Amino acid sequence: MLKSNKMIKESFSIKLAGPAGMGVKSGGQLFSKFFQSLGFYFHDYTEYPSLVRGGHNTYQATYGYQKIHAPHQKIDFFFSLKPGHCQQHQNEFYQSTLIFSDEKNPVLKGKFIHLPLLQLSSQAGNPLSTNIICFGITTFLLNQDKKKAIQLIPQIFSKNIKTNSTAFDIGYIYAQQNLKQYQQTLKTPKSGNKLTGSNDGNQAFAYGFLQGKGNFYTAYPMTPSSGALHLLAQKQANLSAVGGAQSALDSTRPSVKSVSGGEKQPDTFNIKVVHPEDEIAAASLATGAAFAGARSAVGTSGGGFALMNETISFCGVTEIGMVYYLVSRPGPATGMPTWTSQADLLHAVFSGHGEFPKVVIAPGDQQESFEFANIGLNLADQLQTPIIVLSDKFIAESSVSTTDLSKEKALVNRGKILNSVPKNFKRYNWITQSGVSPRCLPGTINGQFLANSYEHNQLGFSTENPIIAVKMRQKRAKKSEIAKTLSPKPKLFSNKNATNLIISWGSNKGPILEALKKLDNFAFLQIRTLWPLHNSIKNTIQKYKKIILIENNQTSQLGFLLKSLFSFSPTATILKFNGRPFFPEELIKKFKK
Amino acid sequence: MKTNFYNYKSSVVPTWCPGCPNFLLFSGLQSSFAKLKIPNHNIVVVSDIGCAGNMADFLNTYGIHSLHGRAIPTAIGVKLANPKLTVVVVIGDGGAYGEGLNHLITATRANYDIKVFVANNHLYSLTTGQASPTTKTGTKTKSTPQGYALKPINPVFLLKNVNPSILVENVNSKNPPKLFKKITNTLNHQGFALLDISQICISFGK
Repeated sequence: MLKSNKMIKESFSIKLAGPAGMGVKSGGQLFSKFFQSLGFYFHDYTEYPSLVRGGHNTYQATYGYQKIHAPHQKIDFFFSLKPGHCQQHQNEFYQSTLIFSDEKNPVLKGKFIHLPLLQLSSQAGNPLSTNIICFGITTFLLNQDKKKAIQLIPQIFSKNIKTNSTAFDIGYIYAQQNLKQYQQTLKTPKSGNKLTGSNDGNQAFAYGFLQGKGNFYTAYPMTPSSGALHLLAQKQANLSAVGGAQSALDSTRPSVKSVSGGEKQPDTFNIKVVHPEDEIAAASLATGAAFAGARSAVGTSGGGFALMNETISFCGVTEIGMVYYLVSRPGPATGMPTWTSQADLLHAVFSGHGEFPKVVIAPGDQQESFEFANIGLNLADQLQTPIIVLSDKFIAESSVSTTDLSKEKALVNRGKILNSVPKNFKRYNWITQSGVSPRCLPGTINGQFLANSYEHNQLGFSTENPIIAVKMRQKRAKKSEIAKTLSPKPKLFSNKNATNLIISWGSNKGPILEALKKLDNFAFLQIRTLWPLHNSIKNTIQKYKKIILIENNQTSQLGFLLKSLFSFSPTATILKFNGRPFFPEELIKKFKK
Repeated sequence: MKTNFYNYKSSVVPTWCPGCPNFLLFSGLQSSFAKLKIPNHNIVVVSDIGCAGNMADFLNTYGIHSLHGRAIPTAIGVKLANPKLTVVVVIGDGGAYGEGLNHLITATRANYDIKVFVANNHLYSLTTGQASPTTKTGTKTKSTPQGYALKPINPVFLLKNVNPSILVENVNSKNPPKLFKKITNTLNHQGFALLDISQICISFGK
């Protein structure tokens, strides 16, 4: 039938589905680790409900010879780790998709193969080993080196090494005996993938924070932002640091800790990571730390960000620069906690009461999550105002091939900090081109000043004088202009044939670039700074006849900003707001219309 | 090192009502800073919102006039980022025991090395005299014309039960020498210390 006549050309996709607790994600990560080790690029995507056991979880990944910008919706190999998890995915199957499950054929599309997983896993001695059995089967089906595959298992599953390798063999041998007609040819990439790291957006942000000399991070756990908290908490050198004697300011250089193998690597950092009582405390702690000189950030999602709004306003008036890492999920209220959304754009842009400058930057992928963590910290120091790094679940919890982010360099800019100041130091000196007044850190002789939540004079003391109030507001407002020159510019992906323009932001970058691999008459403008909007956007827009705006929200929030600032309306708007990201296939379909 | 009493005072004239007990806390802090010889550039006073919080303007130290209820977590952030600083919180009963109670309990549990001074006048005075978390049950105020229905918070009892190893004491501002001594003791304590100062609001208190 399919024997050896099907050859994978550009890319292929694998999906695992099953209840929570069956190792759907960890099993999937094993597949990705394996194909990455063979030189493939990958991009994965997980779906899971907000519960710990049961339900319906999925892991899918697309593997390619070229960089994969987004996972494909259509699947080539589908594994249901327990019966009852494939029927709901029928529209993701080709006629040629191989669907494996331990049940009677429930699907109308694709090639269904009954797999006795219950029996095979009891042979292996572990009912939870179905993911590894499926990995063994796949290794045979794609005609890959068994030894290479087995040695990767302990990297994901450090326990039960013997049982796991038995489970792999059981799967491999079962496939050898029963599934030979489905074996396919998979050529491994010649040159190999240069991106040998693997990170999701949260990990990338955390590495960007560390490489950018961030040294104070607070977060109250909230999906989908907690991954950054977990990684940074692990990297904290002095784990008993609460109230500890060591200062985060003494040194931000990584301390050297020996790791197994005798090789010395910088593994932990002199940072403070705090999980406080609530998001209000998280934001307040971070402002206090930033005031004292730390490179400071908080992580949260929409609901927690709502609680932090008073602190954003506080940062605005006191000119305390810090980063708010806002990882969006669908609201309103608790909404759909484990799914993706871009519905918090206007919440971020208009956060905080009163009028004050702020910057909202949105990474479009994991590599940009790394870069924007440091850019955010730099902007916070340079502009002395709140900086929001707006991501979403699709970036934050999807892993892709990246460089080794723990070794990437980041350019650190600490803005204007004075080491010595005269008496009666004017911390909020309004004689400034940029609106930014040089600051000094507490501990500096003569530098005593007040960071005041009340409107204040140049020394920081409260004032209700109408002239001083206006001057101080005008000084702060100047920072919005400088922000436009310092923050990430819009990025145009174009080619000669492009007559139409796609405008979008954030995580849609991936699916759009993946779709554009198949279409050459579209250019794509990725807006990377959402506030303040860069003036060049207007010039770019004018060059194209047809303009399509794409957003993962219900009300086209970027559209609202473009309309109000540039009086611009797109030719068409594509919106999705069901908690799922865009898939390249659905975008191609819509673009062809 | 300039550690004379008057070096801790800014050029701003206090705006409190004449005779307000806040003046005692204000001069008590200045004299204790002088006594303990803490240079003013190494002190950060984080003030809450309210009459007592307005002290932010009157001191010549580093300062943050924070948001209502948030002085304690803001101060903890300062201390964690630079433990060499002496970090002091000036707060009222509304900020400490009402709006920011969750933060106070956490700071007590963690035993963060900050010094908290609560000007406890059993009333919201800057907003012209509504009931506070320490108002006596039955007291008629602008917001409770039928009498305050809740049981008041007893801060010393509460915080001692949360973490017996912290320093938490009450003192009445009617006894200034004792108040001054307790302020110095509180500043000298290693770890979390809170001084609850019973005061009377001379404008709205009865």
